[in-house]
Amino acid sequence: MSRYIATRAIRGANALVTEAEYMLAKALAEKGPDTPVAFPNTAYYLPVIYGMTGIAVQKLGDLKPVLRHARSLLHPLPAPRHWTPYLGETLDCGMATLLAAEAIEAIRFVYGLQPEPMPGFRLAGGTAFTSPDAGDGREATDGHLNGPIDDIQLRSWGIQLVDGRMPGFAAIVGCAKSNEVAVEIVRQLQRRNILTFLSGNVNGRSIIHQLIEEGVELGYDTYTVPFGTDTISAIYALGFATRSALTFGGLKPGQAREILLYNRERVFAFVLALGEVDDLKYAAAAGAINFGFPVIADTVIPEILPTGITRYEHVVSMPWNEIEGKDDREKAERLVQKCIEVRGVKVKVVDVPVPVPYGSAFEGEVVRKADMRVEFGGKYSRAFEYLRMVDMDEVVDGKVELVGPDFDHIPPQGHMDMGIVVEVAGRQMQKDFEPVLERQIHYFINGASGVQHIGQRDIAWIRISKAAADKGFRLEHLGKILHARFKNDFGAIVDKVQVTIYTDPEPFHYWLAKAREAYDYRNRRLADLTDEKVEEFYSCTLCQSFAPNHVCIVSPERLGLCGAYNWLDCKASFSINPTGPNQPIKLGRLLDPVKGYWEGTNEYARIGSHGAVEKVAMYSIMENPMTACGCFECIVMLIPEANGVMVVSREDPSMTPAGMTFSTLAGIAGGGLQTPGVMGVGKYYLLSPKFIAADGGFKRVVWMSSFLKETMVAELKAVAEREGDPDLIERIADERYVTTVDELLVWLEEHNHPALTMPPIF
Amino acid sequence: MPVEILKETWTGAVQIVTLGATPAEGGTRGRTVTVGGERTLPFLHFEAPMPHRPALAVEIKDRRPDDWSPVLLRAWGDVVDDPGAWAQAAAAAGADLILLALSLTDADGRPTTPAAAVAAVRKVLSACSLPLAVFGPGQADADNELLVAVAEATKGERLLLGICEDKNYRTIVATALANGHLVNARTPMDVNLAKQLNILITDMGMPLDRIIMDPTTGAVGYGFEYGYSVMERLRLAALQGDRMTQLPMLVTPGFEAWKTKEAKVGNGVPAAWGDWEARAINWETLTALGLLEAGADILVLRHPESVRRLRLAIEGLMKG
Repeated sequence: MSRYIATRAIRGANALVTEAEYMLAKALAEKGPDTPVAFPNTAYYLPVIYGMTGIAVQKLGDLKPVLRHARSLLHPLPAPRHWTPYLGETLDCGMATLLAAEAIEAIRFVYGLQPEPMPGFRLAGGTAFTSPDAGDGREATDGHLNGPIDDIQLRSWGIQLVDGRMPGFAAIVGCAKSNEVAVEIVRQLQRRNILTFLSGNVNGRSIIHQLIEEGVELGYDTYTVPFGTDTISAIYALGFATRSALTFGGLKPGQAREILLYNRERVFAFVLALGEVDDLKYAAAAGAINFGFPVIADTVIPEILPTGITRYEHVVSMPWNEIEGKDDREKAERLVQKCIEVRGVKVKVVDVPVPVPYGSAFEGEVVRKADMRVEFGGKYSRAFEYLRMVDMDEVVDGKVELVGPDFDHIPPQGHMDMGIVVEVAGRQMQKDFEPVLERQIHYFINGASGVQHIGQRDIAWIRISKAAADKGFRLEHLGKILHARFKNDFGAIVDKVQVTIYTDPEPFHYWLAKAREAYDYRNRRLADLTDEKVEEFYSCTLCQSFAPNHVCIVSPERLGLCGAYNWLDCKASFSINPTGPNQPIKLGRLLDPVKGYWEGTNEYARIGSHGAVEKVAMYSIMENPMTACGCFECIVMLIPEANGVMVVSREDPSMTPAGMTFSTLAGIAGGGLQTPGVMGVGKYYLLSPKFIAADGGFKRVVWMSSFLKETMVAELKAVAEREGDPDLIERIADERYVTTVDELLVWLEEHNHPALTMPPIF
Repeated sequence: MPVEILKETWTGAVQIVTLGATPAEGGTRGRTVTVGGERTLPFLHFEAPMPHRPALAVEIKDRRPDDWSPVLLRAWGDVVDDPGAWAQAAAAAGADLILLALSLTDADGRPTTPAAAVAAVRKVLSACSLPLAVFGPGQADADNELLVAVAEATKGERLLLGICEDKNYRTIVATALANGHLVNARTPMDVNLAKQLNILITDMGMPLDRIIMDPTTGAVGYGFEYGYSVMERLRLAALQGDRMTQLPMLVTPGFEAWKTKEAKVGNGVPAAWGDWEARAINWETLTALGLLEAGADILVLRHPESVRRLRLAIEGLMKG
């Protein structure tokens, strides 16, 4: 906490409360305590006072206890020689400032000084202060600024703020460096659908003056509302926030703490202080921080970075002349992005801006050679895709850059090298999510009609059809798709997305090498990620609609039985959707490291299966094996005569030594039933060191569908070596040679399979 | 030998929810309808009494429907041209509450305007004093546009607003919160999705006593078993104490049954199918009866004869 800020905010608060007391005393003397006091067209009295204190101010006299309360919140200035934590004092003074400011505006209404007169100004839609049939002939929206927002507009905007159509609101206080800068800042906010409230001045000049001079329309219709040209009128923004909590949060007046928390959690607002920050502005800013609204200043001021009251930083300084950017527009964009980032505002991209139809209906579409305009990757060229996480300030959200030529010069049905580098930044982003997000590129790009995407990493293969190219689809559109989809689908973890597409050979090869380093790092990271190294596994209940009592427990070394969700996927899924199907399971006490029992997993198995299953052993097929829904990639089943297990893959329709085919076996393995000796698994679990580890591990596999042997040659070879028997895979029978138990036993003898000499499996 | 009746004791109970508000409560309804409160599976009175009997809602439209079976249109007659008159007829047929389903377009094919939707709702409210549910056309954007206007124009009535689903729950919940209404949380036949939507809705600050869940169903012969099983599991989870599944359930057997071929088509079907009207009504009645046993708290019906039969059935079942 900055002592400087504390000092100035406390000083500002003391001054404003004193001013309010003086004004109230004068008004009481001149107008009398029974003079009605109200903001126009609201059922919430003076909303901040009503929300924070529960006092429904209806006449001047009612303001007396309010100001008494405000004064009681004031603290003395911090002593110059002693360092104490000032945050609490500063926040109290901030609250006192808000109460005083609202009282002052109410008194000004009594004197007809609010809404603030502004001769010649016409609001583009605003609060009606005179009834249309009052007969004075004057347009209700002429000749004055808006003042407070009325309840009707509050409802209309409030719903949009709550349902996310409007990402949040900005309270701008002060005066921009120039008229042009003022316009750019407001445009940047409007472009993102952020509601903007204007107030305050620097030496008499307000951003409101600047925008009026530039002919910018202000009012409800343009989502840019001029409150007043002094700092005190910024109180209307907090009145709006308070009423949002009362209206949409189901909260009651006087529930101060709940109202403030509601705003912190759900109302994505921030204060943008333009120009010099004086005592009163510091005091008002301290008031805004109570609501969880951070303050971003375009001047040099001390920062309050540690988080606590707001979600991220409290006060951030971003001096205008130090912002990177070639012109005002770029600087304004960066400033607004910083505001969005500090508050954690989530801005959605409504449409995917490409010249071809876009939607999941096109995902399976194939572009045949004859219809193809150009391809990247495949036989004749190379394509790669690489998504990496970088720091917030290294990404310009929405930027799409093509480095090198587009494909116009390539002859029809030709090919070229191309690399897609996606850089993302987000407060909730983790390096572990990189591969999870990168895999989405496949689905996102496939959504465009006339574009086909196959593969991943450096074996990606993209085709663009003639039809798509004729409609104007070019390489930059790949970037636009990725930006829009990542922001929309993964907005919970990704705040900024920038895409660079490389066709120029030199950077292409540079980035390809970097991507390969990353792929390699991820492979090692995944190999290194063991069950012992984490404190939680994840549940997966995606399939409970089919198998009501089945629960998958996904650990780093045991992926989901469908093969589609590994531990990292579940972790990312939980970050994106905290109420979704993947929930963390705290492991708690380890009960049996060999069979894989933890207190947490057992408890979850009981709850998740609705009592159908009491316990689950993570590493055993013989005792409390994990249940299955029906979408397993493989079935593992005990062959008692062989002292081992067989593994049948879904792709294998042939007869197995168990006397049943896959489809018959699936009936036994699925449905959420716990059957010792039978288990449905994902095929990569076969490769895990934890694969039925309690029962002897991979060496127990006596028979395996040839499909698995063929599609996982290299992986299985590595397992064989890990198990200390490089020829192990050749010792395992498959359906080409063995379809009965008798044949199996002969095979095992002939091939000297280790299972025959292992201890009895049960 | 005396037979001992085993009794199951559950720890959880279904949430009690009241629809509609009387003038004393800030609305204009003549009476309210309260559902929920069950402490055991449906109608097992020997285990725990059922404090509120299941309610019957009659579905009406804001204008003459384009796609309803002639059997239904015949049964209601001319009132289908006027939502107010239709609501009165539905009340006379024995409805506990009215469900007004807004059409996507007007009779000329133009999109229904918020003003027209509000006018239809006002007509029903002034013609009939039963509690009211208002459902949008079922397309998220249209639902948002129409229901927000309706919610604001009827503040304090404790209407049940639907369809509040995954795609648009934020808007519907926000307007229900701001205007003192209830929401009908609909999910497509899935326990976890139902539970998740309830979590999301309560997370926005909506109190549990203002949410009805709609797990959706199919008509007999059209996926009914699947819906039944989902409802049964939701109710079992509720009784076991899972707070987020403890909401009363609304289902729409009328809508489901009357879109089946058996109910909709009278000509060119096998003679063995028998009389069209009798068959169609039986289809609706049997679907609804099954759902009652699955734990439905509000049944939305379409034919007046089905309402009569279900009322008899509920009276019988409530006697134990």
